[in-house]
Amino acid sequence: MGEIILQMKEIDKSFPGVHALDHVSLEVKRGEVHALMGENGAGKSTLMKVLTGIYKKDEGTIVYKGKEVEFRNTREAQDNGVVIVHQELNMVGDLTVAQNIFIGREPRKGFRIDDKKMIEDSKALFDRLHIDIDPTEKMSELTVGKQQMCEIAKAISHNAELIIFDEPSAALTEKEIEDLFTIIRDLRSQNLGIIYISHRMDEIKVITDRVTVMRDGGYVGTLITEECTKEDIINMMVGRVIYEKPKEKSLVPADAPVVLKVEHLNAGKMVQDVSFELRKGEILGFSGLMGAGRTETARAIFGADPKQSGDIYVNGKKVEINSPQDAVNHGIGYLSEDRRRFGIVVGKSITENSTMAALSDYMSGLFINKSKEKQVSEKYIKELDTKTPSTDQLVVNLSGGNQQKVVIAKWLVRNSDILIFDEPTRGIDVGAKNEIYKLMNRLAAEGKSIIMISSEMTEILRMSDRIIVMCEGRKTGEINIEEATQELIMDKATRQMEA
Amino acid sequence: MKKKKSIGLLADQKFIVLIIVVILYVVFSFISKDFRKYSTLVMMLDSTYYILLLAIGVTFPLITGGVDLSIGTGMICYGLTGGYLVVQRGYPTWVGLVVAVLFGLLVGILNGILIAVMDLPPFLGTLCTCMMTRGLGSICANSFAIPWPGAKAEGGWFHNIFKLTMGAGRKAMNYPVGVIVLAVIVILMSFVLNHTRVGRYTIAIGSNKEATRLSGVNVRAYHITAYAISGLFAGLASLAYAAAIPTIQPGTGAGIELDAIGGAIVGGVSPTGGAGSIIGTMLGVFVIQLLKTGLPYIGLEANWQQIVTGLVLIGAVMIDVIKQRREALEG
Amino acid sequence: MDKIKQNPLVKKVGFNRVVLCGVLILMYIFFSILVPAITGSGFAGMSHIMGALNYAYFLGFLSLGVTFVIATGGIDFSIGPVMFCCGLISGYCLITYNMPLPLCLLISILIGTLFGLWNGYLVAYWTVPPFIVSMASMNMAKGIASVFTKTQSVSWPRSTDANGWFRNLVKAGGIPTGLLCFLGAAVICAIILNNTKFGRYIICLGSNKEAVRLSGVDTKKWEMCAYLMCGILVGIATIFFVGTYTTVQPGYGDTYNNEAIAGCVMGGTSMAGGLASISGTVIGVLIISLLQEGILALKLTKDIQLIITGIIVIVAVYADVMARRRKN
Repeated sequence: MGEIILQMKEIDKSFPGVHALDHVSLEVKRGEVHALMGENGAGKSTLMKVLTGIYKKDEGTIVYKGKEVEFRNTREAQDNGVVIVHQELNMVGDLTVAQNIFIGREPRKGFRIDDKKMIEDSKALFDRLHIDIDPTEKMSELTVGKQQMCEIAKAISHNAELIIFDEPSAALTEKEIEDLFTIIRDLRSQNLGIIYISHRMDEIKVITDRVTVMRDGGYVGTLITEECTKEDIINMMVGRVIYEKPKEKSLVPADAPVVLKVEHLNAGKMVQDVSFELRKGEILGFSGLMGAGRTETARAIFGADPKQSGDIYVNGKKVEINSPQDAVNHGIGYLSEDRRRFGIVVGKSITENSTMAALSDYMSGLFINKSKEKQVSEKYIKELDTKTPSTDQLVVNLSGGNQQKVVIAKWLVRNSDILIFDEPTRGIDVGAKNEIYKLMNRLAAEGKSIIMISSEMTEILRMSDRIIVMCEGRKTGEINIEEATQELIMDKATRQMEA
Repeated sequence: MKKKKSIGLLADQKFIVLIIVVILYVVFSFISKDFRKYSTLVMMLDSTYYILLLAIGVTFPLITGGVDLSIGTGMICYGLTGGYLVVQRGYPTWVGLVVAVLFGLLVGILNGILIAVMDLPPFLGTLCTCMMTRGLGSICANSFAIPWPGAKAEGGWFHNIFKLTMGAGRKAMNYPVGVIVLAVIVILMSFVLNHTRVGRYTIAIGSNKEATRLSGVNVRAYHITAYAISGLFAGLASLAYAAAIPTIQPGTGAGIELDAIGGAIVGGVSPTGGAGSIIGTMLGVFVIQLLKTGLPYIGLEANWQQIVTGLVLIGAVMIDVIKQRREALEG
Repeated sequence: MDKIKQNPLVKKVGFNRVVLCGVLILMYIFFSILVPAITGSGFAGMSHIMGALNYAYFLGFLSLGVTFVIATGGIDFSIGPVMFCCGLISGYCLITYNMPLPLCLLISILIGTLFGLWNGYLVAYWTVPPFIVSMASMNMAKGIASVFTKTQSVSWPRSTDANGWFRNLVKAGGIPTGLLCFLGAAVICAIILNNTKFGRYIICLGSNKEAVRLSGVDTKKWEMCAYLMCGILVGIATIFFVGTYTTVQPGYGDTYNNEAIAGCVMGGTSMAGGLASISGTVIGVLIISLLQEGILALKLTKDIQLIITGIIVIVAVYADVMARRRKN
């Protein structure tokens, strides 16, 4: 580790009603990978946006390469060698790789863009990073992993000296993460400063040198990675030990009937020959790495995406599911990982969202029976303990946890017996998380059957009665909770990659 | 990898459209003796000229994922205004030409501001300017119908630039200036689309506007530029229209944009933006114009033109949708 | 300002509707002063109000129709030419083929319905962008009408003629029955939009289509129905158009698109979908109609009106864009 390249001191930032950053400090050295950790909403992204000039800070100083700076926009930050590799890919799909890397600063000969030089420069960049990508290929034709590599190449081509990775591994396969780490180590040896934002504890241990932890917009502390344990970091993140004990044994009686049977389901590359059974009152965990095909499986079962082949049996009877309507009519409900896009209509009220799937039951003749609708909405607000002033509240004004409860209410109003929870606690804070867990356990105890897709190992081990592991579109393991360990699941989730 | 691309070129929409153009011409010629005549060809090419210009211009907003509905009535409006100055006020022809083109450019920039700065939906913003130019055209020309100077008359020299031929036969002296002008414009705009920042960012905006913005590109400026190009070409088209049609009537022009936009989309411009080519647009316009011109020769009255054009446009978009669905299923 | 907004009555009616009513009244006063000052003839009085109302009937039906489509986040600017197509074909049936009048009126509604179905089918099931569908339908409507009538204009019977009774729908004796019909239709539309499954679904799918689909709702069907509803209303609008203006010419009608859309967006229906107000549309239509009447009374041409309508739409939609920006 070398000299200090970046020092952010006592950064303070408020938005109307929110104290987003409360005197946060961060120090990054050359030749260091510095992890920035914290729960959702801890202020990591805000801090990085202050650094790269997207937000203006209210107080504090930023010293970069020994000089006090305040970048006015990302462009200026870029020009000074501070670049960010975003979580969402910012790629122009219809342009080629080279055109993407040099967008906004194309080399020119007169009016003409010098495409030849761009391609050569891109090749040189890829050589430096030991990546094998054809710069003349269209961006939309690359895999997500390769697109990520291009994004990194683009960042480096700005003569970057400080690179920020914002959850870079979220969409990558194991192999691609390995490649990414190789590149990051390479960059570290070239004496660049690197800030690495991630939720994945394992990665932090493998790749980073120091960890700065934030909590609720405040600075908690900085540790040297080698000298601390996972629990140390988690404790700092949440302020208390949250490590939950796994479920010890399945709560499902041995003779519980099978309510959903899926046989040889095929849907594109991400779902290949998936078969499983779900029993009444069971919470069936779906584990696997990002991109293992779990969400795709759920969507195919639910009829949200077309499937090529496969049979689905509900309560022992074979059913045809070609659209979400069919699925809903057979008592299946799907709670998407992306609530805002797929779960709720944000501009509408709690009531309107709650009865969305079951509106036919709330009609008097041709008209909607609004008082009946309101009644049921109130009932579930009470039952699920949704925090809201009234049933007319627009869901856009609710917190993540309460929005999730509205989605749950939607399926309960519909009387769905099979619920597919896709990442049920993503974007939800710790307290609300526990509430959702309790709720799911209660639903299972009441006889609902639940498929729970989750990327959080603790969640899987804590909630599931049985665990199915997927990897690259295939089912690679089925583990009873009594035998389940983190190691076993991880082994199944990565099994094929080494072969 | 390289091989795959050359096969891709064969399966390119441009190539298919070219074949359709040839087939249509052959079929119509086979059925109708009159259609085969040289004079029919000349007439058809002359009346295609202004639509080609409109289509080349509107290709840019279409590639950004927008549309410019104001080009049809706009063209009439600019032609009326320029012509009014020349015919009623006695200004020299070149003044009228310049005014028409500048007027087009101005409305184009206004469209760009409505869409890029004020964030109006493109079809709505340009629908408004479509109606407004329709009113403006009548007002600027004092509600007169404007006959620009004829080809032989004094000040009629501009006909030479915008007609493909002089139509009087194949004399050696009659250089097809129009063809050369058009070729230069097509090559120039292809260059602009493929090898300059304006074109590159036009495609980028249509493909992923937010990513383009985050790359430090002044998205607004280039978005406005795309509409400005469309307006500029509508201005140019008004001159070609004046050269092809003896008298410009106020209150007309609605529907012409369909031929231009339809041509562009038939020629492979994606209706959702991000892809397209000038050559494709040109070929697409020929498909539509062949159909329009050819229908009366095979016994259908001229009113069928609008119906057929509408159906061809819908058909072209449907093919695009099918292609996308298939890709989505494979990917 | 805030005080006015907090007033219980204003809150109940809705702030922007109060503003719209204010605009309507101010505009009437404005014309009442300006028209006599410039032309010497009076504006205040029933004749101009009736003129404006006559214009409001058919425009109102068009605007109500397009409100449903805009609520889904789509657009239909083929409505004007489609109305002309309905009027031409059914009128041609009446005059040239001597078909019975009720049948002709039905034909008119049927043609509107078919266009709505076609537009909706393409938008919902084929995901063709609505503006392309509109553009194609607009020209196809003109073409079909011209082909059918051999490019002749059609004059509907006068009220004294044998088949003139349908004009009672617009005006019976001194009573503006058209106004009753329009307001009645508006009430029905408001009930449909706010109290039926159809209305609930189209507004929700205008806001977030994918979430509605994943709730097990047949979004394609309901989206198509919105266009269908629009088509039916366009068909009805035709009856009020020919009942007022008698002659329909082939090749025209597109100027009414913008006015119908203007009435709708001015009334607070969001171009982005998910937000629609029938009462707003009604007031919006009245404003546009009064504007048209005022401009005519000022002895100005239709051209000025085209420009002003364009500006109104731009301002109204921009206000909506700004409101949404502020929310985010």
